[in-house]
Order: sequence, then C-alpha cells, then structure tokens
Amino acid sequence: MAPSSATSPAGNRSGAQLSNTKTTVEFRAALVAMAIVALIPLGVSNPYWLGVLIVSMYFAILAGAWNLLAGYTGQFSLAPATFAMIGAYTTGLLNHYFGVPPLLGIVAAVVVSGLVGLLLGRAVLRLVGPYLALTTLSFAEIMRLVASNSIDITRGDLGLGVAGLLDSRVGWYYLFLGALVALLVLFYMLLRSKAGLFLQAIRDDEVAARRAGVNVVFWKTAAFAISAAASGFAGALYAHFAELVTPELGLIGQTGLIVSMTVIGGMGTLAGPLVAAFLVYVLSEWLRDVGGYQLVVFAALVVIFARFFREGLWGLARAAVQRWGRA
Amino acid sequence: MTLLSVRGVTKRFGGLTAVNDVSFDVAAGELVGLIGPNGSGKTTLLNILSGLADPDSGEILLDNVPCQGLTPERLAHRGVMRMFQLTRVFRRMNVIDNLLVAGRALGLGADEALTRANALISELRLDVIRHLDAGQLSGGQMKLLEFGVCFMVPPRIALLDEPFAAVHPTMKEIMGDFIRSRHEKGQTFILVSHDMPVVVELCPRAVCMNAGAVVIDATTREVLNDPRVIEAYLGGQAA
Repeated sequence: MAPSSATSPAGNRSGAQLSNTKTTVEFRAALVAMAIVALIPLGVSNPYWLGVLIVSMYFAILAGAWNLLAGYTGQFSLAPATFAMIGAYTTGLLNHYFGVPPLLGIVAAVVVSGLVGLLLGRAVLRLVGPYLALTTLSFAEIMRLVASNSIDITRGDLGLGVAGLLDSRVGWYYLFLGALVALLVLFYMLLRSKAGLFLQAIRDDEVAARRAGVNVVFWKTAAFAISAAASGFAGALYAHFAELVTPELGLIGQTGLIVSMTVIGGMGTLAGPLVAAFLVYVLSEWLRDVGGYQLVVFAALVVIFARFFREGLWGLARAAVQRWGRA
Repeated sequence: MTLLSVRGVTKRFGGLTAVNDVSFDVAAGELVGLIGPNGSGKTTLLNILSGLADPDSGEILLDNVPCQGLTPERLAHRGVMRMFQLTRVFRRMNVIDNLLVAGRALGLGADEALTRANALISELRLDVIRHLDAGQLSGGQMKLLEFGVCFMVPPRIALLDEPFAAVHPTMKEIMGDFIRSRHEKGQTFILVSHDMPVVVELCPRAVCMNAGAVVIDATTREVLNDPRVIEAYLGGQAA
C-alpha cells in the first residue's frame, strides 16, 4: 500500500495550527489576564494592595517556572522556592559585599540559579515520583539551613540588606509585570517548539520518549535549568524590591504556596497557574486574620483539585466555555 | 548483506537465564518472525536489541558496528525502532503530536515531520482521531498509533513486539498491509507474534526461542513443523 498523497500543504498548515491550538488559546488567555492586571494601578493606588499584587506576580513567575518543570515535564521537584532564594542571595551577596549593581546582580542570579538547577537536574536524573520529590525537598532544606546558619556571610535569619532598584511602587508593579509577560512569551515559544513536544513526551512516558529518539537526559536537565533560572530571576527581583534577603524565601511553606497555585490553576496549562497565583495570594492576604488556617484552606483546595479537577481552574473555565458554546 | 548480528547474547536476572547464548543474523530487507511460548525470552531479547537492557555477555552488531550498551535514543538515531508489547504512547498528547515527537527527535524539520505525520495518519486510517489525545483512544488505536511512531522516519530495522495482540481484525489488516508493503520496499523487520497464521503469511523466515535459547532458525514452514517447536508450544511430543 503506497503512502497516501492526502497531505496537501494546506492540510499541513491546518494540522500544525490545530496541533498548537491548545497552547495558543492558553497563551492568549494569559495575555488577556495580564492586560487586566496592567490596568489595576489605574484604579488601585493603595501601596499595600499594590505590594500584594507585586508579590502575587513574584509567585506567578515561580508558579509558571515550576509548572514548566512539573506540569509539562513531569518532574515533581519540591525546590522552586529554593531557587528563588539562591537567586536572591546571589544578587544580594554580590551587592552587599562587592557593590555589584542590581541589574548585573540579577543577571548573575539567573546564571547561578540556572547552573545549580542544571547540577540538581543531573543529580536526580534517574529519580522519579516520591524519590524525586523527597530528594529535592532535602536539597531545599539543606540550602535553606546553609543560608540560615552561615551567619558570618548571610547574617542568617537577621537578613541581608540589599540595594533597591526603583523608588516608585507603581514602577515595581510594571517591572514585575514586564518580567512576568516576558517569561510567559518565553515559555510559550518554548512549548510551541520541538522542545515543548519533547518535554511533554518525557512527562507522559520517558521510555517511549527515549524509543522515539528524544535525548531525555538533555531535555530533563534543560527543564531543571530553565525552571531554576526563571525562579532565580524572580528571587533576585524580589530581593531588590524588598531590599532584604532572608532564608525565609526558601521555606517549604513558600514551595507549598507555589504548588497550590499551580495545582489550583491547572498543572500543564500555560494560563492557569499564572491566574491562580493572583487568586491564591490575594486570598491568603484576605485570610491573614485567621492565621494558620489559610494553609488548611489551600491544602484542602489542592486535594480537591488534584482529586476531582486535574486541569484546575483553567480546565473548569474551558469546560464552562464549551458548554456555553453548545447551548 | 547482514544488517543486524546477534552473537552469543546472554542475559540473566538473578538465577534466571532469560536469554541464553542467542545468536542469529538478520540481512537487510529481511522480515524475520521471532516466535516462542510465553517466557521464552523474546521480549528480553528485544529489550537488549533496543537498548533498554544490557546483555551480560555477547555482542550485537548493527552494520558491523558493535551497538550493545547504547541507549534507546542513540539506537533510535541509528535506525533501531521498537514497538512495545504493552502499548506506550504519550497519553496526554494528541495523535499528531505523538508522531511529531519521533519525527522532530530524529532530525526532521517541522514541515517535513508534519507532512510525514499526515501521510502516516492517512495510511494507517487514523484521520478521524488525529486530534484526540492518545489517552482517549481504544487499545487497538493506540497500538496503531505506536506502530506509526516507529515509521515516522523509516528505520533501519523495526522491532515489533506483538503488534497484533488484542487488535481488531481491521486494524490487524492495516498493519499487515503496511508491513508487507514496506518489506517489499526493502524495510527490515523482526516481528514477535503469537499469531501464527500472520507469521506464516508475512515472514519468510522465523527464529523460535524456548527457555531463553534459540531452538531453530529456518524458513517459517520448517520452524512450525519442527517437533521441538511443537513441543515448546504444546509441552508434548510431536506426532
């Protein structure tokens, strides 16, 4: 039987478009959400709430970076906050001891956290599931304890004073938003390229990916490095925003928040974790008065979404739109 | 010309010798049936040939170059493509993307990979389900998809492990036609199957394994009439 000739150039283009439609729709939805976020300072001038939204964007970058690793590549690392801490300390220490300007420090933070992510990725290459999660959790705690106990260098839990970058809170707001959109575009381009195919193939079945010729060692390590570099970037920005770096940035509770945001938003979706980062963090601020109970609420939400709504809020929204379209 | 040469390959798991001093050659363009009862070592041998397991001893030559110990991805790039007995597809990716993964990983450009994927989808009659996620397909459709993945870039040798098991007759026919047409064009295969009528129809030559060792390597007719093969399958003496 000869191969069919039913593949006209038009057919090819149609196939390519449909093949990437899901990612493109999610990207556009995320851009719309970011456009709405961009308008908020026009109506909200309260510095406290602007600060809350800035921190939400910090978490949105972390959730997006972790989603690339866990949601798209299937590598359930429990160290995303640690890479933010590493990025923050890189620029913080360079600035504090050597007077390195923040912009250069941020670049160094991206490089250092990316390299540490690459090394961790190589070290845990053969680990899967709970073994990967526990090993990365151990790594996270070791790094936090090193930062906390190296008092002569980091000032430990007292924190390290770091130079600021901008005076205006609105300026910081748009700097974080620009960083978030830049990473969103970067991740979108990555996912639409062959890299996106390979990462998702590794997530679904590593053996089948290897059989198909995918260099699993390279792409898993690359996913770790890119995710870590993006987290380090967020951490470095945050360091200059807060003008203080402490080991608290690497607390497991921070990773818990990032995981909550991603699971509630929709793991393996481009828009979900970004939008959920805002919802979860703003909600956590509203629930601040009830103290530790906010963590119980998020934990319960994560269990409910992981059990019943695997595609998170994004999946629910998509299903609602489809129902509405059929009605 | 010999394409694949298996020389004295042995693989043990603790006290069990799963593959015991197996040797045979496969010429370029041959379609060899690999048969034997359950537990005879066929899948372990395919695991070794596709880089998923290392032999304890012996040598495997592809184009006269040793290739034992290479990873599955390196073997894929050298043209060894394997279909698994228990279907392996990317369940959360659609049919097209499943095919594109292999095409892009094996060096095709985006447009060329898409052209080939569309051609395969058409040839394997997967058009209707092309945009469904693989996890939504029936077992037979998944088998057909995995079968297609193996041919996104024509391999030097295709190792097919039970492609016809638990598959609807129509899909079996599609795969059979595909194998036949590719074989006529010079494609090399090792086909593992318990479906003897199909093996007889497709494979001019067969290798029968039992208890990890090669029992006989001859024409398929000769193999199926060999008393040792009948004993291996039925556990008794041939009449």
